[in-house]
Formats: sequence, structure tokens, C-alpha cells
Amino acid sequence: MRLLEPLPLRAGVTAPNRVLFGPHETNLARKRAIADRHLAYYERRMAGGTGILVTEEASVHDSDWPYERAPLASDCADGWAAIAAAAERHGTVALAGIGHNGGQGASAYSQRELWAPSGVPEVNTREVPKVMEPADIAAVVDGFGAAARLATASGLHGVEVNAGQHSLVRQFLSGLTNTRDDDHGADKVRFAREVLETVRNGVGPDGVVGLRLSCDELAPWAGIVPERAAEIAVELLPWIDYLVVVRGAIFSVPATRPDGHDEPGFNLGLVGQIRAAVHAAAGDTPPVPVFAQGSLVDWGQAEWAIGDGRCDGVEMTRAQLADARLVAKLRAGEAERIRPCILCNQTCKVRDNRNPIVSCVVDPRTGHEGEDPDLEPATPVTAAHPRRVLVVGAGPAGLEAARVLASRGHAVTVWERGDGSGGMVAVAAAGSGRSRLAAITDWLAAECARLGVEVVHGTEATAGTVGEALAAGRFDHVLLATGSLPGDRTYRATSGAHVVDAADVLAHPEPDGDLPAGPLVLWDPIGGPIGVSLAERLAATGRAVTLVTPDLIVGTLLSRSGDLAPANTRLQAAGVALRKRAVVRAAKKGAVTVEDRFTGEHTELKAAALIDAGPRLPDHTLDVPGAIRIGDTVAPRTIYEAVLEARRAALAVEGMPASPIPAGAHP
Amino acid sequence: MSGSQYTYLWRPLQLGPVTVRNRIVFAAHLTNYAEDGMPSEQHAAYYEARARGGAGLIITEEHSVHPTDWPYEKMIHAFHPEVVPGYRRITDRVHAYGTPIFAQINHNGGQASSMYTRLPVWAPSAVADPLFREVAKAVDELEIAEIVAGYAEVAARCKEGGFDGIELQCSHSSIVRGFLSRATNKRTDGYGGSLEHRARILHEIVAAVREAIGPSLALGVRLCGDELIDDGITIDETVEVAKAVEANGHVDYINTSIGVATASLFMIEASMHIPPEYAMFIPSALRKAVNLPVVGVGRFKDPLQAERAIAQGHADLIGVVRGQIADPDFAAKARAGHHHDIRLCLSCNQECVGRMGLNRWLGCIENPRTGRESVPLPPPVRAALTKHVVVVGAGPAGLQSAISAAHLGHRVTVLERDAEPGGQVRWAAKVPNRAEFGDLVRNQVLECDRLGVDVRYGVEATVESVLALAPGAVVIATGAVPARPWWAPPEPDPADNGAGFADLKVIDVLDVLTGRFAPTGSVIVIDELGFHQATSVAELLADRGCTVEVLSPGMVVGQDLGITLDMENWWLRAGKKGIVQTTDSVVVGCEGGALTVLHHPTGATAPKTADWVVLAVPAAPADHLYRELRDRCAGTAIRVHRVGDCVAPRRAHAAVVDGDRIGAKL
Repeated sequence: MRLLEPLPLRAGVTAPNRVLFGPHETNLARKRAIADRHLAYYERRMAGGTGILVTEEASVHDSDWPYERAPLASDCADGWAAIAAAAERHGTVALAGIGHNGGQGASAYSQRELWAPSGVPEVNTREVPKVMEPADIAAVVDGFGAAARLATASGLHGVEVNAGQHSLVRQFLSGLTNTRDDDHGADKVRFAREVLETVRNGVGPDGVVGLRLSCDELAPWAGIVPERAAEIAVELLPWIDYLVVVRGAIFSVPATRPDGHDEPGFNLGLVGQIRAAVHAAAGDTPPVPVFAQGSLVDWGQAEWAIGDGRCDGVEMTRAQLADARLVAKLRAGEAERIRPCILCNQTCKVRDNRNPIVSCVVDPRTGHEGEDPDLEPATPVTAAHPRRVLVVGAGPAGLEAARVLASRGHAVTVWERGDGSGGMVAVAAAGSGRSRLAAITDWLAAECARLGVEVVHGTEATAGTVGEALAAGRFDHVLLATGSLPGDRTYRATSGAHVVDAADVLAHPEPDGDLPAGPLVLWDPIGGPIGVSLAERLAATGRAVTLVTPDLIVGTLLSRSGDLAPANTRLQAAGVALRKRAVVRAAKKGAVTVEDRFTGEHTELKAAALIDAGPRLPDHTLDVPGAIRIGDTVAPRTIYEAVLEARRAALAVEGMPASPIPAGAHP
Repeated sequence: MSGSQYTYLWRPLQLGPVTVRNRIVFAAHLTNYAEDGMPSEQHAAYYEARARGGAGLIITEEHSVHPTDWPYEKMIHAFHPEVVPGYRRITDRVHAYGTPIFAQINHNGGQASSMYTRLPVWAPSAVADPLFREVAKAVDELEIAEIVAGYAEVAARCKEGGFDGIELQCSHSSIVRGFLSRATNKRTDGYGGSLEHRARILHEIVAAVREAIGPSLALGVRLCGDELIDDGITIDETVEVAKAVEANGHVDYINTSIGVATASLFMIEASMHIPPEYAMFIPSALRKAVNLPVVGVGRFKDPLQAERAIAQGHADLIGVVRGQIADPDFAAKARAGHHHDIRLCLSCNQECVGRMGLNRWLGCIENPRTGRESVPLPPPVRAALTKHVVVVGAGPAGLQSAISAAHLGHRVTVLERDAEPGGQVRWAAKVPNRAEFGDLVRNQVLECDRLGVDVRYGVEATVESVLALAPGAVVIATGAVPARPWWAPPEPDPADNGAGFADLKVIDVLDVLTGRFAPTGSVIVIDELGFHQATSVAELLADRGCTVEVLSPGMVVGQDLGITLDMENWWLRAGKKGIVQTTDSVVVGCEGGALTVLHHPTGATAPKTADWVVLAVPAAPADHLYRELRDRCAGTAIRVHRVGDCVAPRRAHAAVVDGDRIGAKL
């Protein structure tokens, strides 16, 4: 397998394979230092076999403090040394991510002005930066050198310099952000050369220097275009040992690491173009390896990209958040057992004022390695007292509980009312652009099958059937993962009104939900992916759709996954009418009344049906005393909570006495 | 001069076992000063400064009583016993000034997410909060008992930590209000339905807390007088709840608030656009119904206003929060008769409220010490080392650098080109409902006067005129100048208000505010700054009879108005004034008297025209004098600094902190 072949980076430094775990925000720092929890997080990936690991980017100079817990290179010596020691144990090439956010930083923490090549404000903060003076430029270049020296002195193999998204180096390279009238403007590559030369000297002759370069700023009027990026890359080759090709700039921040609305491997054309130029420039010398980035989460695609000559290595960061043992499973010939990244960006995109800890919906232990138990140890744990467990519901909570229990030697039976598994995940995956979500429940079902879990479909669990099974002594424990019900209506619905729940429309085999002919109104008081993806799906069938939101913007919660601006663009391109700042007050036959939140004005919208995408309620139809509830039946939330609670419940079962439910307590 | 204009404000008052020496309360408010869930040194220094400044009573920010309650990152986790040493540090420092301090304890209930706890959110019913939008778990009776026990345990811990009283936050963000309100309590058991049932958890908590703390501590309950939401609590029900609380005999005072933090926050921490005393009806109604002392809150920023509210019988105590964030010595200055020396709060919400929602430490736009109380001040400069500091520009940056330099003992001269101080702040305060922003300049000028700073107006500084003053150091604070986008035609002629100008009349917001141009007819305001500049001028012009449309490249006009809680009221006012708001739109050219406007989500372009176009776009630093002086003084002993917009055009707070940083290190 090409992915698993070693990759020489520099004399004396060879990556054991071609999989790179790239730099990303984690909020694991303690103040601005790489911390103990970083070590636990990174070491888990090293033990799982990643070939190259680049730590969270550290600012090279105190003029850069882009988010509260952004590492500062001068505070990172101890943390880097601990990671270097771990890399030694696992044979990983470990590098320090270093950079400066320039005008894309934040002034809130430093209470200082931002520094940038020119006074061009960043799009979201709209803060005008200070035009760097020659002394400022010299200070930042020195900072890069000092960070490189400190990284190698700490025992790391070298550094990776950021000239991708959020970077001062790219801001100097680009006509979007560099309008200087001095030497650093006339020659936009000059700053990058100065930085790399200093860094090269800083890491010493044995040190590795990687470069992450935005090769398409997606703003061709003044930004870096692929042809220009190829020239820049070639000009910078003398100082670097590998190149990571990324895309995006100030007008396209979400495009660098988008969610599943962008096809996996969207950069493979771009990276192939850049690699060709790098190879052409190499002549007789070995060409500098080029890494592909961009939603590469499937090993098969990664393998193909290397084989096809698009790239020499692959950054698979989110894939290794979802499964830290990705490389180990490939090596063991267990590729089908790799837990898939579903490209949701729900908990791994953490450049967010709230400082969320990086995590993963399909593996909530990610980012919480120090507190959550390891349920997938290299040597499987078998429970001392195997139990017989009934799980009701084959959604993500039920399947994850079954998987964990079975992996520890318990006998598990799952009763599922429907014909298929997946629960609400299967429903959500039917939204436009969301099909990849189903990969996690498909994987869970396959793992359950492999582990011998008995999943019985078409079985409606009732107090009677569960009670009988318990009375008959078939099970020691019961877990309820019975999901949710439609929520209460928050408006008057008179008879004749056609009101339907969003989940029922999504679950319907007909793309338009077989709703009556005529215009549709979709009420989305949440602003998450459900309402938006359903509106898109309905619009794609040619239906006239009005999306009603109480907010000033549509899909407000999508800002967390980076899909806010793309979603608004898609909705408008699809012709979905957006009714903002409005609350649904009434539904009757053929019409829905909405109230403007600010003017109080009532408007009647023609509507063959009103689709309600509001909050749901826990389904407590089935109650079994002593049973543990997990997932949406506790409170309807997301995959993350379902998986987390399933794991906790699986462990709780082991700690509970068998048969906590007195026989005879049920009819 | 004495504080004799006050009859009531300095009268001591008994809150159960605790005597407060005056009626000014530093009421509870978030600070984001906690570190890993523990009270910090900054907490102690912050509250100490207000005790030293004469506050009658301090009530700390809320402390969480249960691990299921962690809605924002920097919350005090009082359910951990390790908080006690941090409590001691706070209470000892405050008690050194004889000031009582109460702890506010709380559970936010459904007004939270599971992001930090990784546990289900607990609430009366499975209702999603309007802000967090996470469906909560309806607590069962065992869980209710656990919450009640949490309150009692934490109250006992607060007593151990030296607090003089406990306040139960049952108001704007609390599981108790969640139970009290029909909007969030859908229960059918003994905790839902009738008001008596909905109030049951409150009475259980009050009884448990009183039992835990005994008779030696004061106990207060803070109630919401009006939730301002559909099916919400209104004052009639709150009066009934207050009467029932009083009847139980465990409680020593009632505090008040208005609104729901996750639905109507803009009315809780109202900005300058909401008239002062807007929430007075709440304490007023409660005071008529109960004999317990009642605290009134809501944009009290002046001691005379507080005095009047007490004199008129609306309240017994007055919460002055932002007023004491801006000036910790608010009470002491008033009491000493130096009312005019108080650094008046602007109610701008930029660095206090505005930073809370962004998970940043609490500060103040005009007081660079707020949030930095635990960082020692630089020592005064020895007399022999003092310099003559020349500051060019009397905007917020220049004046603050003058103040901070003068505090160190330097002799300071400020040269201002205009006849008045304030720079752009002066103009920003000239728009409807924004006059209070101008108090920033008033406060700085008065402080300069007190410190003997020599401010010279009408002086155009040059390299020669600055050097002629023989400065030891120079601070350039010359601000910014409007910048015209590449597509804008030449400026029309101000002499005839652009009447003879053939092309589209494109001017800057400052041109409107200074009166250089007076647009009439239809106006397009282009909002690339996303703050008050565009919206203020839009309102001003609409008030003058113009037809106004605001164009923004963003998804909303005035993106950052939400941070200062000005968004809701902007929409209300804009609607009434007929102002049209057009979003997602970028000007990409100007041809034949019309703008070419790109709607970027769809890629469609269309011409758009008006009688006038007003720009709220990034300015350019006015840094010529800085560059000339820097080059001239290179190699000499004269240090040349620059601060504020002439470094990079930003907001007023950046000017103040720049000025303070440079001024304090001269």
C-alpha cells in the first residue's frame, strides 16, 4: 500500500508512512503553552501510527494572539519536549506548527493592534491592522527563527511554517492583502523567503522544514491563483523539505477545511498541478514531497491520489480525529474497521470564542484522552462478568452501546422497531448534502454484526414484551435508546391545516415528502443543518419553499461548522425564499401566518403544508424501571451526546449488579 | 462641598443581620475572571477596588451550585470545595474596607448547553432555550432534591468563605425562574401548573439555604419582574411570589431584574438607547407589596438619580454596576461632594457586556484599569526623571496618554488642531440617542484638568512647533482620515453642497456629522464597518426626512450591534424610520451616476442609485506627522510614539488602551 510506504524527508529523517496529522486549533493549551492534554491527544495518534504529526500552530511573536489559548512559541519548550519524547517512543516524525496570523488575528486578548503587510481589514472582524514597519517585519522574521531553534532544541524533528489560511506569510504573498509600496510589496515573495531562510538556519542542517501554502485564494482578481502558486512554490523549494497544498484566504475561510458539502479530495486537481511544477523544477535532484489536504478522510481515495501521482503524501487530520488508529488498522489489514469521519465539523472546528475542546462526534474521547476511559485498547478488555443486555433502539446511541458492550464480551441483543438501523442519523442523512452522516451508523451496524450483536428489526418493544423477556430471565440489563418524538407546536393549527414534522418529510422515500401540491413553508426556529438541508432538498424537487426563521440570518448555528455562508449561498441559488425575523403564529388550510419580530406585523403566506423543524421531545413511550436511558430519549440532541452516553451506559452496566430489575415487577 | 444634596443615599440600612452603610450596591454581574472554575486574584482585586471606592454592598457574580450547570467557560464552580480559599481572598480584601459582600449562587437550568459539562442540560421541562437551542432534560424529583441540596451545600461553603450573605439568582438566567415561568415550566406534577406549584422549588431552596447558613447571614432573592417574552412572567405574578417569599420569614431583602438573559438580554443590560429608569416599575411595585427592602436596577449611572429613586419610594437600594465598572470610586466621590469627578459610564456596552458574550474578561471602554486591578500600577517617576511630554491630538488616545503620563508625574502639553477635544468621539456622539458616548471626552478632559495637563486648542502641530516645546517625549495621536474606495468619483464641492456636481455624490459619514455636506432626498449608506457609524448616520438622515437604504456586504447591517445589545432596538427604530436594509451586497463599480452592486451569494449585479451615497468604510491613519517626527528625532534623546487611529483606525477602546500603555511607560 503506497500510503504505508516510508517517505524520506531529509537525510536522516524518514517518515514511517505517508499519513500526516496536520496542525489545527484544539484549545487544549494551558494559557499559551502546549500542555499535558495536548500530549495525551497527540500521543494517541502517534500510537495509532500516524507518520508525521504537526503540533497546533504556535505564534512566533507576541504581536500575534489569535485566540485565547493559541500557543506562543516561547511558552512551548516543555510541551514540545514532551511530544518529542513521545514521538521517539512511537517512531513518528513530530514537527512544531509555527506561524503568525497577521491581520487575521485578534486584538481582544493582546489589547494591541494587529500587524499586517497593508491596512486591509479581515472580512469578519473588519479590524484595520497596522501597516508593518521595517522593524516590525524584522522582529517577526526573527521570531520565526527563534521558534525554529526552540523547536529543534526541544527535540522535535523540525517545523512546519504556515502560509495557508490565517497566515501573515500568505498575506505578504497575496495581492489581496499586500499593497505595499516598498521592497516587500514590489517582491511579494520576499517576506516568505526571509522567513524560510531564517527558519532553515534555525532548525539546523538535520531539521525538517515543511511549508503549508495556500495555492488558490479563490479570489482571482487579486489573490494567489494556482499558476502563480506553482511559481511561488518553486521559488521557495530551496528551503523546504515538504509542501502541503491548501486553498483559501480572507474571503474564503470556510473553504480551507469545509464540511461534507464539499466533495472529499476537492484539492486533488490543485495539488496535482502544483506537484507537477515542483517535479519539473527538481531536475536531477529528488523532488520535494508534496502533500494533499482537503477533506481526505477515506483511505482508498488517499491511496489512489498517491498512486495517481497527485501527491506524495496525504494529510488526514479529521480522519484521525474520528479514528486515532487509522494507520494501525490499515497495517493490520482491517481497513473496513476504520471508524469514518463524517465531515460534519460539529466538534472539531474550534476556532470559536467559547474555547470548546476539540472533539469528534463519532469518538467523543478525542480531545478528552485524559478523562475518558480508553474503550479501544490495543489488547481488548474482556469483562469479568459477562452480562446479557437488551438495547432498545438501533440508532447511534443504541448501536454504540451494543458495540462497546459486545467488544467487552457481553451478549447483546438490539430490538429495533423499524426495518433498518441508524435512527435519526439515517433521517438527517436524507437532507441535501448530508448523505455522509449515514457512514457512522453503517459502520456501527457492521461492527455490531462483526462482534456478534443480535439486531432484531421490526420489533416494537413494549413494557409487556420487555417485561416478559426480563421475567423469563433472558436479560440482565436493559438500555433504552428509543429516540425522540415531534415537539409541541408553538402556534395555532386549525383543522384542515397540513402540518408535518421535518423528520417525517426527511424520512419519506419521495424527495418532496409526497406533500400536497403548492408552496411549502418550513419553520426553522433552530437554525441548524436539519431545516436548511430539508429546504434545499425540497427546492431541488422544484417545490416553492419559504424558510421562516426568527433570526436575523438563516442557519445561524451553521457558523460553527463553517457552513453558514455556503448554506446561505446555496439556499439563494436554489431560489428558497428566506423569511427572516419572523415567527409562525398560525396554520390553517392553505396558509400560514407569520409575525415580524420587530414590527409585529402579521403576514399570511400561501402554504400547501407547514413543515416544522423545531425542537423535538424525548420519546418516553416505553418505560422500564431500572433501565438506563441514552441519547435522544434523555433529551433530543446530536450524535455526539448519543455516542458519549452510550459509552458511559455500557461501562455503567459493568458496575451494576446483574438483574437490578426484580423479576415479577412486570406484567 | 459635602454630600448634603443627598438625604437618603448615605442612610444606613439593615438587611437582616447585616448593616449596609449606604444604598449603593455593586450588584451581581459576570466578569469572566474565574480561572479553571476557581475565584481568582483578579476577582479579589476587582471587588476590593469597589469596596475601597465606597460601595455600600457588593454582591459577587454567580457561583454554580451543581456540575450540570456550566453554560459559559469562566464560571465559578462552587460545587467544588476547593473554592473556599478563593472566597476567603475576596472577602478578606473587601472586609478590610468594612464593606459587606454577598455571594450570588445559582443554577442556570435550561439556559445552558452541554458543551462544557458533557452532561444533559437540566430544566423544569424539555424545552429548548432560545439562545442555546439545546433541548433540556426535564428533572425528576430526585434531581430536584439534588439541586436544592446543591444550593444548601454551596451556601454553607460561602459562609465558610467569609461572605456576609447569600443572594439567590431567581431572575434572568436561573432554573428557579425556569420553574416560575409558564414559558419554560410545562410540568404536570407538584412543581408545575399553579403559581404556588411553580414557586415550590424556590421555597424549598430558600428554606434549605436558610437552614444551611443560620441566622447570622443575610439572605436575598432576586426576582424577574417581567420576562418580556411570550407566556412569560409579568409583574403581577412576581408581586405574588415576593409576598410568599416574605411570608416564609427566611429572606431579608428582594433584588429585582427584568428580562431573560437568553431571550431579552438587551433589556437587562440596556445600552444608552434605552431611557434610564426603564425598569423602575418592578422595584416600585414590589416595594408597595412587601416590607422587605427592595433593590432597584437598570441604568442608574448618576448618584442623584439613585437618590431620587429612593426619595420617591421606588426602591430602598440601588444597583449601580456599570457606573462602578467605569469608576470604582463612584460612591466615595459622590459622598465627598465631588459628583462631577465621577467617570460617568457611557452605557456603550462595548467592553463590559460586549466582552462577556465573547468569553473574554470584563473591561471598560474608558477605564483601562478595569479588568487589570490585579496588575500593579507602575510606580511614579522620580521628580528628577520627569519629562515634558507633548501629545498631538486631543482625541481619546491623546487624552488618555496625557492622563497616564501625568499620573506618573510628567509635565504634559496637548496640542489640538480643533477648537474642541474629542476627535471622532465628538462626532459619534452627535447622532440620535448616542449623546452619552460623548461623556468619554468629558471624563477625560475633566481628568486632564485635575492633573494639570495643559491642553491647547486651535494649534496645528508641525515638526517645528512640537520640537520648539523641547519635549522629552512625543506622543502622536492625530487620528485617521476618511479613505475613498477606488470606485468613488471625485468628492463633490462642499461650497454648494455638491449642487453643481455632475457625478454621483459620494461622501463620508464624517462629512454628514460635521455638516460639511447635508444630503437630502434619497441616500444609500454603505456599511463596511459593521458598527454604529452607518446605522447612526442612517437614522440621522432619516430623521431629517431622507429616504435611506443601508447596504452591507455582510449578512446583516451593523454586524457588531448585537455584541453591545443594540441590534434589537436598531431594528425597531429602523423599521419605524422606514430605513431599508440590504445585505450580502458589495459595490464593485460606479458608472453613469449609479453604483454597480454585486449580490455575492447569487453573483447577480445591478445598478443602484440615489441622490447621495454615504460611506462608512475603513479610514486611513493620519500618520504624516508621526513619520516626519520619527525620522527627525532618530538618533536624538526624544522618543516619538504614536497611539490610536494614527497607528491603525479602530474603535475608541483601542485608542484608550493604546494611550494608557504608552502614557504609562514614559
